[in-house]
Amino acid sequence: MLELRNLSVHYGHKRVVDDVNLTLAPGQTLGLAGESGSGKSTVAMSVLRLLPRTARVEGEILLDGEDVATMSWGRLRAVRWAGASIVFQGAMHSLNPVQRVGDQIAEPMRLHGTRGSVRELLHRVELPPEKARAYPHELSGGQKQRVMIAMALACGPRLVIADEPTTALDVVVQAQVLAVLKRLVAEQDLGLMMISHDLSVLAETCDELAVMHRGELVERGRTREVIANPRHPHTAALTAAFPVIGDPAHRWAEPGRTAEPLLEVRDLTVDYGRTRAVDAVDLTVGRGEIVALVGQSGSGKTTLARTIMGLRKPSSGRVIFDGAEVPRSGKALKAFRRQVQLVLQDPASALNPRHTVRAAVAEGLRVHDVPGDEQSQVTAAVEHAELRPASLYLDSLPHELSGGQQQRVVIAGALVLQPRLLVADEPVASLDASVRGEIVALLLRLRRELGLASLIITHDLGLAWQIADRVAVMHQGKIVEQGSVEQVLLNPSHDYTRALLRAVPQV
Amino acid sequence: MRLASRLGGAALSLVMVAVLGFFLFRVVPGDPVVSMTRGRPTTAAMQAELRAQFGLDRPLHEQFWGYFTSLLRGDLGTSFTFRRPVSDVILERLGPTLLLVGTSTVIAVGLGLWLGVLAAWRRDSAFDRTTTGVSLTLWAVPTFWLGMLLMMVTGDLFPSRGMRDTDTAPDFLSQALDVGHHLVLPSLTLVAVVCAEYLLVMRSSLLEEMHAPYLTTARAKGLRDDLVRRRHAVPNAVLPAITLVFLRFGLVVAGAITTETVFSWPGLGLLFYDALTGPDYFLLQGLLVVTAGAVVVMNLLAELLYGVLDPRVKVV
Repeated sequence: MLELRNLSVHYGHKRVVDDVNLTLAPGQTLGLAGESGSGKSTVAMSVLRLLPRTARVEGEILLDGEDVATMSWGRLRAVRWAGASIVFQGAMHSLNPVQRVGDQIAEPMRLHGTRGSVRELLHRVELPPEKARAYPHELSGGQKQRVMIAMALACGPRLVIADEPTTALDVVVQAQVLAVLKRLVAEQDLGLMMISHDLSVLAETCDELAVMHRGELVERGRTREVIANPRHPHTAALTAAFPVIGDPAHRWAEPGRTAEPLLEVRDLTVDYGRTRAVDAVDLTVGRGEIVALVGQSGSGKTTLARTIMGLRKPSSGRVIFDGAEVPRSGKALKAFRRQVQLVLQDPASALNPRHTVRAAVAEGLRVHDVPGDEQSQVTAAVEHAELRPASLYLDSLPHELSGGQQQRVVIAGALVLQPRLLVADEPVASLDASVRGEIVALLLRLRRELGLASLIITHDLGLAWQIADRVAVMHQGKIVEQGSVEQVLLNPSHDYTRALLRAVPQV
Repeated sequence: MRLASRLGGAALSLVMVAVLGFFLFRVVPGDPVVSMTRGRPTTAAMQAELRAQFGLDRPLHEQFWGYFTSLLRGDLGTSFTFRRPVSDVILERLGPTLLLVGTSTVIAVGLGLWLGVLAAWRRDSAFDRTTTGVSLTLWAVPTFWLGMLLMMVTGDLFPSRGMRDTDTAPDFLSQALDVGHHLVLPSLTLVAVVCAEYLLVMRSSLLEEMHAPYLTTARAKGLRDDLVRRRHAVPNAVLPAITLVFLRFGLVVAGAITTETVFSWPGLGLLFYDALTGPDYFLLQGLLVVTAGAVVVMNLLAELLYGVLDPRVKVV
């Protein structure tokens, strides 16, 4: 059905896809794995000739025997969506924000003159029909992704390409979306090409797996076999990067750490209007301890973190840091904030694109009027974050750095103030598999060398297994379970923890 | 609830405008009566009489209260120069201004947004470079200079002074044609000067949307390029331009001081000019209240319209 022959794509002199050969038969499911910049999305976009004009495409892209590259524009438009459709990453901006989703689903049907009803399509992705009248911003991430799937199926294509369909969704929602996709592919005998940086997601969904690295297809085979016996070192690195819960090899935190409390949260409640976002939470982080706060999106974990940092006033309850209640205002609050630093999920948006690394890292020093030589403090922080030698990076702008390097800059910006607690909100969620491991290792090393405690907020139980000493599970504003990593993740006592663990895709 | 707060905000702004209108011209140094009678021989008794006539001899708070209460009744005081109620003078000039500035603004907005869309869609093409370059040049050129240049270039083709000729037949059609004829040069000047504003805002706003993922979705669905633009890109890109357009509509009432002066167009802009040269304090005060009020009202309308066009903004 789909056949790529010697496909190469260049941007100027840069070759982003290099001589790729792939075939996909009807009813077959193929996973295309690789890190950002590996060329996997470029391959997907080339199938419907959606690459920007600056791209130069060589080789053949045969869709049912017909070469997409040489089609007339009219023929190409007819093939788009009716012959093959794409499930874009719906949590991002793949839906028009000012149009009702029902209209957006109906649009290709009207355009291609195919029969079908929005109601029926929504039913197939398990959404109630009244959601057709909703605008994208009124839907959750999972619902938007279902809308994308419904839209992709609107014209009854034989091939569906799913580009990172579950990235940015939490584990439970991801599992639901994957289930819907799997069911529909099986029911309708569709060909599915699924693109992801997450091998475990592909392992859940696809029979076949192809791995891309720097534009080349380095490995292809049955999913189980590729993952069990990777032949190419890059595949091996990808499989190793995703922690398996319960596997001692993936448990990087040194065990056996008992600590006196640094941060204590007692009976903390936060209300948004009538909504109780955080409900009577007790939580402790010891000196030098790493605690993972896990839960789905909307469970209140981010609100809890913001309240701990003094960015939000609690409705009731106390936050105690280093034996003293956290001040609510004034100089004392500022001094407290210096000791507790925040690391956000997406370094690209956390960094000001026009500030050099030096300016970004030094900003905290200036805000807090830290005495001493700025240059040496910035250099030390940047080197602590493993950007060595610092002189190489100090004058770079964020866009000149890779995602992993950007996250190190964010961490350096926190370290420069010599904090005692790091609050990290999904610190590795937007990073590639190989980089992710490096950042995890960095956080652990900072703990070892500087005694830095961390509160890691994540929906990723694998990360908790890798890095944390203790885990607290949050659900609907409450901490439903907390304890040591082994105890919570291997012998969960609460149903919700068990549900979370079940939703984790298994490699 | 949100609507109420928006309305309340607008009402508060209007009150501020009224207060500002009063005190702005009171803190300006100089005695209004002295400047009003400048160049004419006056006695202290005549000045005192004038003061009494315009209520300037009363304490400031009484003056303000009198001004504020009559404002609420729609009474803006009496003009020094015209010796007539300010509201009558303003109303009389409102029509010509709405005609000139209203027409030009509608044309400039339409043309600017349309050219902006085309320029962004064909970024860096000859079309983009030419339209952007030409409109920027016109934007940079002084208005009076452009007006005079147009007068010279077109020669006797179009009238260059006033709004109508005295010898035109009194029937509606001839009058309308005459006014239309007079309208050509001043409105052309205005369109040429302000068009760039909308063009540039629309262009940059659309350029920002050009790489939005939902446009890739639309293309992948098989939509023709112009449909991708019309149905998906423009409805999103036009949003930032809305506020600008409505602020501009609010300023329509302020007239176009330079253009109206150059072409002797009997509108509010020319009235502003005359009131400033007077200076006619009550007239200036009245003009300020009316024009600022129009901006506040239009801004409110823009916010309400925004709520209709962008579902993410909940106004009502």
